[in-house]
Amino acid sequence: MYLKSFVKFAAAAALGTMMSTTAMAGPDDDSLIIAWGSTGPIEHVDNYVNTNRTGIWFSRMVWDQLIYREPKTFEYKPLLAESWEQLSDTVWQFKLRQGVKFHNGEAFDADDVAFTLNWISNPDNGVKVQRNVNWIKEARKVDQFTVDLEMKRPFPQAFEFLSGPITIYPNEYYAEVGPDGMHKQPIGTGPMKVVSIKTAEEYVFEKNEDYNWGSPKGEAQVSRMVVREIADVQTQIAELLAGGIDVTADISADHVDQIGGVPGFTALQAGTMRTGYIGFDAANRSGHEPVNKLKVRQAMAHAIDRESLVKNLIRGDAGVIHTPCFPTQFGCSVDAAVKYSFDPEKAKALLAEAGYPDGFEIEFYTFRPADWAEAIMGDLAKVGIKATLTKMPYFALRDKQRNEGTTPMFLMDWGSYSMNDMSAITSHFFKKGPDDFALDDDVAGWLEAGDTNSDPDVRKANYAKAIEKITGEVYWLPMFNHVRNYGYREELNFIPYQDEIPRFWQYGWKS
Amino acid sequence: MTDATLMPLRGQQTAEEILEPSPMSKLRKRIFKNYSFLIGALILGLIIFIALMAPVFEYLGWIHDPLDQDTSRRLLNPFWYDKKVDPEFVLGTDKVGRDYLSRLVYGAQISLLIGFSTMLISGFIGTVLGVTAGYFGGRVDMVVNFIINARLAMPVFLVAMAAVVAFGASLWVVILVLGLFLWDRFAVVMRSITMQARDLDYVKAARALGCSTPYIIVREIFPNVLSSLTVVATVEMANAILLEAALSFLGFGVQPPTPNWGLMLNEGREYMLFLPWTVALPGACLFVLVLAINLFGDGLRDVTLERER
Amino acid sequence: MLVYTLKRSFVAFLILIVVSALTFSLSHLAGDPALTIGGEQASDEDIEAIRLLYGFDRPLYVQYADWGWRALQGDFGESYHYRQPVATMIGERIGRTMLLGFLAIMFALVISIPMGTLAAMRPNSLIDRFALLVAVFGQALPTFWFALMMMIVFGIWWRMLPISGHDTWAHYVMPTIALGYYATPALMRLTRAGMIEVLGSDYIRTARAKGLSPTSVLFKHALRNAIIPVVALAAVWFGFMLGGSIVIETIFNLKGMGWLSYDALLRSDLPVVQAIVLIFASFYVVLTLLADLLNAYLDPRISVR
Repeated sequence: MYLKSFVKFAAAAALGTMMSTTAMAGPDDDSLIIAWGSTGPIEHVDNYVNTNRTGIWFSRMVWDQLIYREPKTFEYKPLLAESWEQLSDTVWQFKLRQGVKFHNGEAFDADDVAFTLNWISNPDNGVKVQRNVNWIKEARKVDQFTVDLEMKRPFPQAFEFLSGPITIYPNEYYAEVGPDGMHKQPIGTGPMKVVSIKTAEEYVFEKNEDYNWGSPKGEAQVSRMVVREIADVQTQIAELLAGGIDVTADISADHVDQIGGVPGFTALQAGTMRTGYIGFDAANRSGHEPVNKLKVRQAMAHAIDRESLVKNLIRGDAGVIHTPCFPTQFGCSVDAAVKYSFDPEKAKALLAEAGYPDGFEIEFYTFRPADWAEAIMGDLAKVGIKATLTKMPYFALRDKQRNEGTTPMFLMDWGSYSMNDMSAITSHFFKKGPDDFALDDDVAGWLEAGDTNSDPDVRKANYAKAIEKITGEVYWLPMFNHVRNYGYREELNFIPYQDEIPRFWQYGWKS
Repeated sequence: MTDATLMPLRGQQTAEEILEPSPMSKLRKRIFKNYSFLIGALILGLIIFIALMAPVFEYLGWIHDPLDQDTSRRLLNPFWYDKKVDPEFVLGTDKVGRDYLSRLVYGAQISLLIGFSTMLISGFIGTVLGVTAGYFGGRVDMVVNFIINARLAMPVFLVAMAAVVAFGASLWVVILVLGLFLWDRFAVVMRSITMQARDLDYVKAARALGCSTPYIIVREIFPNVLSSLTVVATVEMANAILLEAALSFLGFGVQPPTPNWGLMLNEGREYMLFLPWTVALPGACLFVLVLAINLFGDGLRDVTLERER
Repeated sequence: MLVYTLKRSFVAFLILIVVSALTFSLSHLAGDPALTIGGEQASDEDIEAIRLLYGFDRPLYVQYADWGWRALQGDFGESYHYRQPVATMIGERIGRTMLLGFLAIMFALVISIPMGTLAAMRPNSLIDRFALLVAVFGQALPTFWFALMMMIVFGIWWRMLPISGHDTWAHYVMPTIALGYYATPALMRLTRAGMIEVLGSDYIRTARAKGLSPTSVLFKHALRNAIIPVVALAAVWFGFMLGGSIVIETIFNLKGMGWLSYDALLRSDLPVVQAIVLIFASFYVVLTLLADLLNAYLDPRISVR
């Protein structure tokens, strides 16, 4: 039975590849169809209007930043800026690249940079994620290809933003059409031009033939590309096997084996810096007895078999994480973290010491697919902790956490907006902001010191103290980094990246 | 609901009916002549038996604990496959290594519980509204009619999803939400039957004798509507089970790790292209249960209500 | 008749108010809309500002009245998530759902009327029993499961039909069948019952006695009369189908209103949910209103009552 259906399947798949090369996309007409969307459609393609990570792939295709962050080494390299120097504690000067053109033919120069930076830093323009831009004081055009950027205070993470969320817009066009016009017809300098956008349905791109000035991002590898929003994973896989799409990035670890076994298709797993964690209501906002006791949290840390979870469910190159940040991030010292081994006996002993020899019941929240949470609950059950799971949509869960504070324990994760600096995650959650459930003065103080100092050593020292206290007190139990799983046609040249930023324009057909 | 209005009302018996042998033997005859009733009752009885005996089966070691997981034995195949099979787990395991058979068996419990509880709640609401409207008529009837129409105008599935988002997804929220929505058919049927029963001679007589309204409704009207009530109840139970499964399937229903067929379909969907049994099995269970209830209900209608002539 | 029409229209309008008020209050229990608008990284101050800007600080009934008044003018507000007018978003997709609903109801009628008629011509025959079997089985088949099975067989194994999307007619085939078959049992039973009644009536006997051909009797006289309640029921089912489209559209990634409502619920996009509930409800109300008026027209006694 198994064999029969498999043979049927393989035959169908092989047939499909034959058919689709003639009928659909593929190497022959140099086009590519990508499925994307399990995390939901992009609400607005203007980089400064959307709030979710989902827009990232789009912004990287269409626009460029001043600085390029090498995705493997995280080094900063020239992109739209050819070189830079620091004039003072708060001023950087950028020399811009010449001969770059926007998609509408407008030439790129200092006016575009100054305009973009001044426009986004003006709070009246309502850039959604103020944290990305509120450190900018002013940008000044020095000459046609030189710009000075003044910051409000010394800001060591500036380049993370300049190489990430801050993309450069064409001044004349954007001044004229504004965010809504940009959403309808985005114009940038990036490797692909937008042909058409149907929100929440599909995006059509074509190669930007002028993108030949030696950008480290590389030229587009296909002449035409369609990105389709398909929310259901199984629909994506069905489309892949039926030849309707060429790449999917939303599949699970099991599908990697399954798709990889079908002739004509390849699948792979690539780790990302998205860090999963179990958070606790340690500050006791909700009055949930057990989790505000340190021994109980420690017991849970010992009760959960993170290694087995990673090995059996996440797989790929995911690993157990012991820090409240991703280890490649600046300041994220693994040595500073207190580590908890899988030890159910010790967990039981700790529970007994804390006064719960028979365990207790607790509510557990997540927005991710339930199998991870279920595996965790299974481990907890083995030491007597009976967790009941509530799965909620992301925003509903965030609302419950922030406004009601009634979530004693939750499995969440954070992608740090792909920024390779610990402040993008730890400072967000432990500096007494709305997402801080530990409310620890010491930790908040150290993080603030680390965030605002420009001396790397001082930063590291302060961050290390914060890491030690957070893990020692088990405010979070860091779990594992997430893995993205890809399935695609085997003729495709596919390149995954750890920073969770898909670079679709680099995908091309093997010749 | 033409069938329902054709039911024999007490006091309306014709001479031939009174002279017939005995109503019980006639009923028995009709039951045994009615295959759909028999088959439906048999399957339904079997499912209820299995659902109720699940803990016993587990105690006897025939099935596993439906929550017992082990990620090292995940996604084992059912027995008819050649590879990745374990005789311990006859119908395979799910994605965290829980026994599929046990989850199917316990899933029957949950489905029946949801179907039954929903039916009780909606039956209560619908009967109260329908009987009130039918008995009092006039303005009361107008108000109830308005409520029924407002309820019918609501897209149940969408509003149920919204309610689940608002109140959080759990077994009892789903039961309550469905119960609060699926009473329309009860109300409509009860209303029309009560209207007919109200004008029966002996009900009029009771009123004339000064019996209290609650007494008349409970003692005189209610027995008349009982058999139609059970027929509607089976339809609504099947309906509730299917709706709940669809809600859980979309993730707006019962939450893991509860063993639930809709949820198993939701979880299995991810694997359906490669492991079709993950959706085929819970889907088939759902199908058989609903089929049994429908057959039973159809048969019940034929047995208790007079056939169209 | 005019008075009756006005009265019924007023009641219909009242129903819409009640339904929308209920959904409005329900969806405002679903979470703080300000947080949804603010997004992942909004600070507390941002959220407070949004709350004031959108007027979430006002009492709920004031918000509802405001929303209702605008809705009457066709302005359903702006989606929290997509920041587009809800009316535009629905406008882009309503056609697909209507098409799907229409095709599905046509499919159901095309199957159920001939089967019901055949069954009625020979009650208790093999055909009748077969039709009954199909009806009973059809009613028990979970729509979404049936859709998934079709997807595997016709989409992957046999590769006859496209799996997702809405670009061509072929894309509508599987969703139409999945949505339509569920209505067939009810419609078929009604056709059968109606036909049996009509075929036994005096005027059909007269027609037969006059020597008209059986086909002419069947099609010209019997079917025409038996079909009216079936079409009326089909209209009501059309309303139900719009609701049922949520599951089907989600499965087949057919981006109509059902899909839109699912997507909006996932991200607590309340204006979209409210608008769609109102539209679905309006459809039902208008369809039943028309049916009532038609009945009243055919049977003047109703409007006098």
